[in-house]
Amino acid sequence: MTGLLPLSRRIILAMALVAMSVCNLFAQDLDISEKLYRSGERAYHTRSYAEAFETWNQLLQTAPKSNFTAQALITMAHYYIDVEKKPDSAIPLLERLKADHIKSPLAGEAMLLRGEILAQRAKKPADMKEAIAEFNRVVDLYADTPALAGAHYQLGLAYQGQSSWGRALQSFLEAYRLDPLSTIAAQALLQAAEVLDIKGDLQGCLRLLERIRERLPNSPEAKEAAWRIAVRVKWRMQKTPLKSEGLWPPGKAPKWVNTPTLLALGPDGDLYIYEDGLDRADILRNNAAVPVGMPLKGAKALMIAPNGLPWFLTKQSLVRLDGTLLELSGNAPTGGVLDRWGTVWVGDKKVAALTLIGADGQSKSLPSPTTNALTPLANGGVAQASDANRDVKFLDANGQPQVWIPYGKGLPGVFRYVLALGSDSIGHVAAIVDGGDFEGVVLWGPDGAVLRQATWHQLGISGKFVAIAIDRSGGLILADRSNDLLLRLN
Amino acid sequence: MTRRSLIHPATLLFISGSLLAQAPQPDPALKDVAKQGKDLWANQGDRDGAAVKFEQVLAALEPLALKTRDLDSEWHRVLCETYNWLAILEDRNPGKKAESVKHIEALVNFDPDFELDKNITSGKLQSLYESIRGAKLSRVSFTFQPDGGTLSVDEKAYPTSASRYLSFGAHRLIYTKPGYGPQEANLELAPKDSKNVDFRLDRNASTVTFYTYPGGAEVSLDGKPMGKTPIQSGHSQVTPEMKAVADKAGLKVEDLSAAFVLSDLKVGKHILELKSACFRTTRVELDESFTTPFKDHILEVIKQAPSRGTLTVRSEWPGGELFLSGQSYGALPVSEVSVCAGTYDLVVKYPSGGFSQNIEIPENKAVSLTTQPKPRLIFVGFDYTVDFPGKSQLIAQLMRLGGRLKEVAFIKPTEGETPMDAMTRIKNTKDAELMLSLIAIKDRPEYPVDLVVETLSGEAEHFALKPLDEDPLLDLISKLNTQPQLWEPSMGITVADLPGEVGPVVINPGDSVKSGIQVLKPITLVDGKPITTALALRKALLEAKGDNLSVTQSGLKANLPLAREPLELPFFAANLCYPFVIAELRLRTITAKGNESAFLRLNQAIALMHFRRYDKALELLREAKISDSGRSGSLLGLGQGTVDYYTGICLTKLGSVYIPEAIQAFGQAQTFPGSTFFSPDGPLVAPIAKQAADDLKN
Repeated sequence: MTGLLPLSRRIILAMALVAMSVCNLFAQDLDISEKLYRSGERAYHTRSYAEAFETWNQLLQTAPKSNFTAQALITMAHYYIDVEKKPDSAIPLLERLKADHIKSPLAGEAMLLRGEILAQRAKKPADMKEAIAEFNRVVDLYADTPALAGAHYQLGLAYQGQSSWGRALQSFLEAYRLDPLSTIAAQALLQAAEVLDIKGDLQGCLRLLERIRERLPNSPEAKEAAWRIAVRVKWRMQKTPLKSEGLWPPGKAPKWVNTPTLLALGPDGDLYIYEDGLDRADILRNNAAVPVGMPLKGAKALMIAPNGLPWFLTKQSLVRLDGTLLELSGNAPTGGVLDRWGTVWVGDKKVAALTLIGADGQSKSLPSPTTNALTPLANGGVAQASDANRDVKFLDANGQPQVWIPYGKGLPGVFRYVLALGSDSIGHVAAIVDGGDFEGVVLWGPDGAVLRQATWHQLGISGKFVAIAIDRSGGLILADRSNDLLLRLN
Repeated sequence: MTRRSLIHPATLLFISGSLLAQAPQPDPALKDVAKQGKDLWANQGDRDGAAVKFEQVLAALEPLALKTRDLDSEWHRVLCETYNWLAILEDRNPGKKAESVKHIEALVNFDPDFELDKNITSGKLQSLYESIRGAKLSRVSFTFQPDGGTLSVDEKAYPTSASRYLSFGAHRLIYTKPGYGPQEANLELAPKDSKNVDFRLDRNASTVTFYTYPGGAEVSLDGKPMGKTPIQSGHSQVTPEMKAVADKAGLKVEDLSAAFVLSDLKVGKHILELKSACFRTTRVELDESFTTPFKDHILEVIKQAPSRGTLTVRSEWPGGELFLSGQSYGALPVSEVSVCAGTYDLVVKYPSGGFSQNIEIPENKAVSLTTQPKPRLIFVGFDYTVDFPGKSQLIAQLMRLGGRLKEVAFIKPTEGETPMDAMTRIKNTKDAELMLSLIAIKDRPEYPVDLVVETLSGEAEHFALKPLDEDPLLDLISKLNTQPQLWEPSMGITVADLPGEVGPVVINPGDSVKSGIQVLKPITLVDGKPITTALALRKALLEAKGDNLSVTQSGLKANLPLAREPLELPFFAANLCYPFVIAELRLRTITAKGNESAFLRLNQAIALMHFRRYDKALELLREAKISDSGRSGSLLGLGQGTVDYYTGICLTKLGSVYIPEAIQAFGQAQTFPGSTFFSPDGPLVAPIAKQAADDLKN
């Protein structure tokens, strides 16, 4: 999903634009249009929204071309986006602003907002076309306005959604280049670093992440950059072997969870655990399992939505947070991935296809071998393990294979089964593998190279491990369903 | 402080004399002419010849007397005598008797207190004189106790005299003398009146008279400014008292100031302070004995000790000329020139750019300064007929702007020159690099004024102002005081903080492997001091002095050479004023050589791209040739690839006709694998250039 600009930035942007817009006032409209605008503004600030809208609608009638009208239109649009959370209702206001006030700098902001709403609406990469066109218009027409950096940043996100990495990188760097000390600069640089990693430039990625840490140390992105650097360096540059740290979290005795069968990481790095014995999902907070979402029996896959709430696959259904059930085509789901478009990818060990269920409930199939495990990838695609094909594939957002890893490649022995896959948001994929000459865990990098591997024997652990997750400290969390515990490998 | 207990009565006359001396005075030769007139009559009986001479004197003095009404006492007397003589001479000429009467009338009008010379004036003329005077004036006789003060008649001051003729009607007379309370008398005079007025003043304060060396010292008493000690205007002012004090002090009397009288010293202690440029401030404590009892005192000469320092100004830039508070001290370098201690507006004028600074030169201290030219910002003024709230406050703040600007040399507007004329002049003479103008915006009530900073080539930035803000110029000043960061030191390594490590870990050692730096090992000491984070290492790096920085890794010390790495200018940094940035970079480019010059051109081009001046930016980029551009993968930084990429961007922006050249430039950029954006820790140019080229091809 394409994120809208944060409210604080919008306010700053709006204030700046008010100042700029007032420059072009027409003297004849000044009195009445300003009075109407100020009256509405007073009501708006006291949250008397109906009164504010009534006054501003009068303004729209009385002085349609006034710059105060433009300001009223943008504020009304913000109301629908930020307060009502109905961005679609903002579209007509933004289009009117575009049409009637094309010379106003506020039209740039209107286009940016409209583009953001269109990007939010998109359900697949091709849907981003109109949003991209809108962002490009801001870049071409409003180069002197505060909307410019936002437009470049949104272009970057849009291209990222289309897996157009080169253009995404270009756009993020443009957003950064404008003013490296701005709020959006840190966000853009963080995204650019991820794109560089996806494009295989690990050193470039690390340089940019470190740049955020050193040059924008007080930004939230600096904190984010810290773990991304640490995990990357740890997995990809340091050669320390995997070791078991024992029970996780430290100090927890076995049986603190009841039959953990599924693990997932939330958008903020929190660990989610599905306890089959309790028929519910928990979130691990302060070393305690806190129930989250609705109770559900027999979950086969756990996915975390951007708002931090769990979605599930059961034997026959997709269970979304709002309680809607969608029937699955197969009956042996082995993994589910909720992607940025709101589409759920479903793998089934008996169905030779990946089923993609859109946000509107429509589903389509991607030809594929049967699936034994599925996990999301940083590039917007999925990693799919197929015991039938004896390979792991990294698919891009369009379902096209980008990386192919035969079972056992790069390992001292070949395994036969993948029991579970787990991933982080920076391109690492971990697997629990079984059968054959190698039974244990494997960690692959974004290019499919083995970064770490260890057998249960080497690790000195045993149990029935059925789920794996990668935490933000670069640890592998294993769920042991028979012993009711979690273990951490480091 | 020792003192003498008498004040010479001539002091006040001297002061008034010094005031009179300021009025324009006639040619001294006229006195000889008057003498010749007297001799012609006395020795040769040549009445006509004598009259001609006196007419000559009259013709010169009378207009002057009418004009200034302030002839000095000697010329005053000469004019009175001339009237007297002409009246006598013409009275004896039957054809000119009427003229004689006119001269008598003129004399009465000019100075009714003048007494005719009874030895040469006939009784008839004396009667006529008395008659004319009596018809207009009444005689008032005075007694003064004490004498030697000043009598003011209807607000005009006169030396004391025993009598004075005054016109009929009401008069206000005030008699004053330093150290005494004034006394006032109101008179009503009628024809044929003759009155006596008796002035008796009461003592109510002490007086202190002093002379300073040198003259012209600023005097303050108990912190209150009292004026300056007068500078003598000639030998005529020298009094016996002055001579006595000068002799006692071992000074030439002409080097002293004229007398300065503190006339109203009340009971108690007082502090007298004297300040003169180039002399040390002198404080004199006047204890209670000066005011108990009230008395007139004369101090010994107050000698102020000289106060000087030395100034040395150097510059690596050619053509600088030093000015201290407007006075030229010649071409730089200026070495150890002796100047008066004090505060100066130091200005160095260069062929391009200027340097200005408020500087203090303390007494007996040597001040040394190295200057380099800064962009000159001229305030071209304002259309003063346009009004808006807060205008006078804003204009006043603009006039004081120079004191708040550190990175530009501020020039005030030339009086009487319109902004348009000033701008035209500056564009022609190139006497400034930046112009500051003020534009009132009629239909914008919230921000009624724009300040515009503009280069001579037209790149302008507007600052919308609210003149009634507490400090409406703050944003402008902040931006004009912010230099773009163009360089930073680099050790050529990349580090990162990793959990569990004791210091920042080297994740890319670059060329420092040759110095023994190992990848994935933490740095623990920098210059012998413990370092725990990458941020702290960066801080140490930025503060490092010298060409090397010692770092310790795994107990082993390595000296890493510090490189001065160029940085890329942001396109729209909120803290920069881009016209200033352009002017600054242009100045720096003048003397820069090699790569430094090329990087300055690159950043100038970026600043011009801020204004979408892609054609001008392109010219600069084409001049920017970075010689060591073949950076390897391990040695990163801004390079020729960066320049070529921006060349491609400019060509793209210039229209589709330049697309083939743009593709070529982007292709060229890809041939420099070590070139980065922003700084050595920025992203590589090559992949971005490839994308840009691909986009154009598609």
